[in-house]
Amino acid sequence: MSVKHLACLGGEPAFADPLPVGQLYFPDWERYEVAMRGIFERQYYTNHGPLARQLEARLEVFLGVKHVVCVTNATIGLMMAAEALELSGKVLTPAMTFLATPLSVARCGLEPVFCDVDPVTHHMTPATLEAALEPGVSAVLGVHLWGSAADTIEVQKWAEKNALKCYWDSAQSMGCETAKGLIGGFGELEVFSLHATKIISAGEGGCVATNDPDIAARLRNIRSSYGAGPAVSVVKTSNGRMSEFQAAIALLSLDDFEMNKANNIALREVYMSELCDIEGITLEPLHGVIASNAQSIVVRVGEDFGVSRNLLKDALSAENVLARRYFWPGVHKVEQFMRQPQWNLPQTDQLNEDVLALPIGSRVKGEDVGTIAKLIREIQRNGAQIG
Amino acid sequence: MSIENDTAFHKQSVDAFALLGGQPAFSTPLGTSGLARPDVEAFLSYSKRFFDAKQYTNNGPLVRELEKRLAAFHDAEHCVTFCSGFWALVMAIETLKLANKSEIVMPSLTYRRLADVAAWTGLRPRFCDVDPKTLAISPETAREAITDETALIVGVHPIVNCCDAAGLIKLSEETGIPLLIDAVESVYEETEHGRVGSMAPIEVFSLHASKLINGAEGGYITTSNSDLRDKLRLIRGFGFQGQDNVVVGGGTNAKLNEIHAALALANLDSLEQFVAHNQNIYRTYEKELEVLPGMKLLAFDERFKTSYKNIVVELTEDWPLSRDRTIEFLNSENVLARPYYSPALHQKPMRYPHFPASLKTTEKLCSKFILMPSGFMVNPNQIRNLISLLRSLFDAADQISEYQERAHQ
Repeated sequence: MSVKHLACLGGEPAFADPLPVGQLYFPDWERYEVAMRGIFERQYYTNHGPLARQLEARLEVFLGVKHVVCVTNATIGLMMAAEALELSGKVLTPAMTFLATPLSVARCGLEPVFCDVDPVTHHMTPATLEAALEPGVSAVLGVHLWGSAADTIEVQKWAEKNALKCYWDSAQSMGCETAKGLIGGFGELEVFSLHATKIISAGEGGCVATNDPDIAARLRNIRSSYGAGPAVSVVKTSNGRMSEFQAAIALLSLDDFEMNKANNIALREVYMSELCDIEGITLEPLHGVIASNAQSIVVRVGEDFGVSRNLLKDALSAENVLARRYFWPGVHKVEQFMRQPQWNLPQTDQLNEDVLALPIGSRVKGEDVGTIAKLIREIQRNGAQIG
Repeated sequence: MSIENDTAFHKQSVDAFALLGGQPAFSTPLGTSGLARPDVEAFLSYSKRFFDAKQYTNNGPLVRELEKRLAAFHDAEHCVTFCSGFWALVMAIETLKLANKSEIVMPSLTYRRLADVAAWTGLRPRFCDVDPKTLAISPETAREAITDETALIVGVHPIVNCCDAAGLIKLSEETGIPLLIDAVESVYEETEHGRVGSMAPIEVFSLHASKLINGAEGGYITTSNSDLRDKLRLIRGFGFQGQDNVVVGGGTNAKLNEIHAALALANLDSLEQFVAHNQNIYRTYEKELEVLPGMKLLAFDERFKTSYKNIVVELTEDWPLSRDRTIEFLNSENVLARPYYSPALHQKPMRYPHFPASLKTTEKLCSKFILMPSGFMVNPNQIRNLISLLRSLFDAADQISEYQERAHQ
């Protein structure tokens, strides 16, 4: 396509249909129909059914852990996790995260305490944790972003040294691997998202991975799935069940993982070559992983780009390129989590200001990436008019 | 085949009972769950819509349609769906409760996770008794549990017929304490004051597979208050209003996905057939239990619309076995009968703050009732066989106690 008139300057949008940043892979209709007819034949709709059990068994192999507990979404999975770990007081977590992370902590009656992140990797480190540690903290909730990973071993060591439990919000990390092992087996447990925007999708869904049989048993009881293992004492239960419908879609999605990951990687390579010579746009490399799901394209918009990150985002949106600011607002700027004196998290503030996620996943074709790059150039060229 | 000749259901000797070594009367379990199955083609045709729109969740086209249809169904102004009835309750309590108050009033003879629901909101449950006529919370029993610290009253419709919702609404208006109605078991019900779902500020329902409208997992609320609707829509999606704009705290992910919405819509289309099926089951129980001593069917109030969904029997003094023993016998025969709300909530150990209570009526009632098989997977012939089985249990009661005394010697 030719980029003649930017939509933000009165032209037609470059794309007729919106290009979202989420993965949105979904099985084709024939496979969906077969799976659904199977559920109707069995008349088993929810409550740890045959497909949910099969999904847990397959994810245990996929993630290389002893126990996987499937749940209805990752946020409820994180809440169940904090309950299962029987935490108290405060939970230390990076502010560079999606709102679900601190919301899950607060819903359990706990107080999130935010630490900053490393400006290069965007992840927490022992140094940023150390700087934020305060009395009353009982656990560290680590976060992995963008298909990259925090230094799990170093974070865990630091937590152990401070007698803190460590668990992970690995919502974005399904299928990622570090030099020290697959994401999934670190800390007390790890929580993954199986939301439609993630590489393995149940529509809505999530799962908790752990090697600890007692934690797994508590999680199953908190989830309340009748007949799923022994009854153990928990403080309170909830409903975190994954239905057969969700499990069916996740199983098909798991079958497609390698194919979808390869598609992401191919798109990422196009982005790398298309974006590499745009002044002020830096494609974030993957950090801390030897294999990634490549489910995010994150760029930083520098001052030398000439147009602000927010204006670039708006201009792209006008073209139906639904670029997203991550994370906006920063969780430490959300009223529920503000406190006095204000959080001092300069690196997170900076990232919140200049990170932009670009479309990748099922809706994006290779040539679309070329168009997106052209649009970005065009927006840069018309900076004076746009700004 | 005459039932009387079928020895599987009419046990000829004590050791023919599965609990005492015999074969189970039913080869497949008879459950108490709804498990309504709509036409698979209807489900697939709804599915096609989200599939073609490529939207799988996040307030998709089917969720929006389901909310419209359910609001109309209940004569309510608004409906907001959730990923489950449980989280719908948590979010509704969060939205309605008085700020800076610490207690929540709820009946003890109810859903076994209702106190846990409250614990997720940080409120401390104060349990109240029930009216023996309705088995439900009443304005009088609720009033006894109200204190200066009450943040909310949870009225709960029992699983057969309705609580005095109008009386509870009046109590709420008089005291200024908000009222939420847990109407999970009363989707189809009408009262003299209108349709359930059109009365209280917030009424909460479930779309769990075991309930009248099967959405696999799911829940929803009805309300006539657009502010409450807006707030609930926000907190089920992390508190975001549009993109990048957080306007309320205390949010979470409690969204209903499109696949569950498709199932709920298909079941809503075939609801009348399911109710007719339930009525048929109920009529069978009615007829067969009339001649069985010691077991009394809890009658639906047929002056108003009802779903006939749940079958509850009361054991009278003519019944020769204890309630729990009876259930043990039935379970071993593959009859998944369950004690009706027993133990009551206030009788269970709780690891979060609550007020211990002594509730005479509840304590008396919670050992008398059994929830009996019903739902889409159960047919009238099985019910007749079940009553046959109960008749042989009744007839054999004396021999059973002798048999067991001998076994213990």
